[in-house]
Amino acid sequence: MFFYGFMQRAFQASILISLIAPVLGLFLILRRQSLMADTLSHVSLAGVALGLLLGYDPTWINILVIVIAAISLEYLRKVYRTYSEISIAILMSGGMAVALVLMGLNDSGGTVSIQQFLFGSIVTISNQQVWMLLILTSIILILYGIFRKPMYTLTFDEETAYTAGLPIQFMSLLFNILTGITIALIMPIVGALLVSAILIMPAAISIRLSKRFNGVIVIGIGVALTGMILGLLASYYIGTPPGASITLIYIAIFSLISVFK
Amino acid sequence: MQYIKVEDLAFHYEDEPVLENICFQVNSGDFAMLTGENGAAKTTLLRNILGLLKPTKGSVTLSKKNKEGEKLVVGYIPQQVASFNAGFPSTVLELVNSGRFPRGKWFKKLNADDKEHVKKALESVGMWDARHKKIGELSGGQKQRISIARVFAMDPDLFILDEPTTGMDVDSREEFYKLLQHASEFHNKGILMVTHDHEEIRHYANKHIELIRKEGSPWRCFSTDSCKERSKHPSSFH
Repeated sequence: MFFYGFMQRAFQASILISLIAPVLGLFLILRRQSLMADTLSHVSLAGVALGLLLGYDPTWINILVIVIAAISLEYLRKVYRTYSEISIAILMSGGMAVALVLMGLNDSGGTVSIQQFLFGSIVTISNQQVWMLLILTSIILILYGIFRKPMYTLTFDEETAYTAGLPIQFMSLLFNILTGITIALIMPIVGALLVSAILIMPAAISIRLSKRFNGVIVIGIGVALTGMILGLLASYYIGTPPGASITLIYIAIFSLISVFK
Repeated sequence: MQYIKVEDLAFHYEDEPVLENICFQVNSGDFAMLTGENGAAKTTLLRNILGLLKPTKGSVTLSKKNKEGEKLVVGYIPQQVASFNAGFPSTVLELVNSGRFPRGKWFKKLNADDKEHVKKALESVGMWDARHKKIGELSGGQKQRISIARVFAMDPDLFILDEPTTGMDVDSREEFYKLLQHASEFHNKGILMVTHDHEEIRHYANKHIELIRKEGSPWRCFSTDSCKERSKHPSSFH
């Protein structure tokens, strides 16, 4: 299996995703933004469709589109402070609508590529994507190391963080942008429809296993590695879509823990 | 030294005026209680002071520096503190440790002095033995205590407290008021506290700011000391 270059790249990407998913996932859950990942993955389909329509590398166009969406999401969250899920609904349906329109305009047989992005494919991971993921993982882990305490305070209570003098708007925006870029990079591997599960599930599982903040991240990395590697193996040997396989393994772990804890 | 100065503040929710002619100040060493009936916009006034809401008219000046010329550290306990996210993955000790972060520890390790502050804060509210518990497992009253401990651990120059004793028994409340009185008298801390227990607190506080109104009018301010030319007693309202 490891003689195949695409499998080597798939495992490298999986290990990198396992390192960042619990960090982003924990903050998404605690900030009640679990659906943000889903929203941005829908928007990222529009980015891919635009890239394919224009004939450019969908990854770069996708990152650009998703960063704009992440900024808009933060703005809409402020506008609809009381009903913040409205911003999710607007961007999620808007992203999907734009993606469908752009796909309709593209008559050069791009449907197959879009399906790859919808359901994910381990065959399509390029060296460039692995390198980009490595750089992103390094940036996120370094930022987490530096901003762990401010993010803890921001996540616990935004108003307390503001009165403590933290730049909460900048921090929220930066977090959204990093989440968006992560989604843009991992979507081709796990698929747009399941990318939020890949980000959220490890933290959702580990939050039940640790009472300490850092403990949740460490256990989450273990859970993510288990789910990602077993999911990839299942995908390789049984031929199932990787995103779906990984998600089902996470759900199995979650169910087991719910029964015994 | 003046920590808070509120001048002729008015605040409207959309077009509805809720606060008007609010005018008072809180200095270092003041223990000021802010009282008023239910719905008197006390929390709204605090949020204006903290910059979480923008006054429609007038101004709020929150000092940037403390009396030593260092950055002013504000310790804020919001009203709904006991309803905080029960699933937040943190122990009591982790949360109270976070009170030290604004003391120049955002990017540094806590030292022995910080840990001593945290220990004293937890002991002062009787929660040291529960320090390894997950915060979501605590009762409402215990959550209130650790929120207070977090602010005490911060050792702020200015306390802004929104009904911090909700859910506490009489003995605990008295102990808490004594700690605040000690902080204002002996350490020159400024304190602004929203409360309904003004009969209890008047023995400890040295300033009373009351929000009052005539029926159908916005809430106005009557302060026992500052801005007397503007703050009028209800009997003189028109």
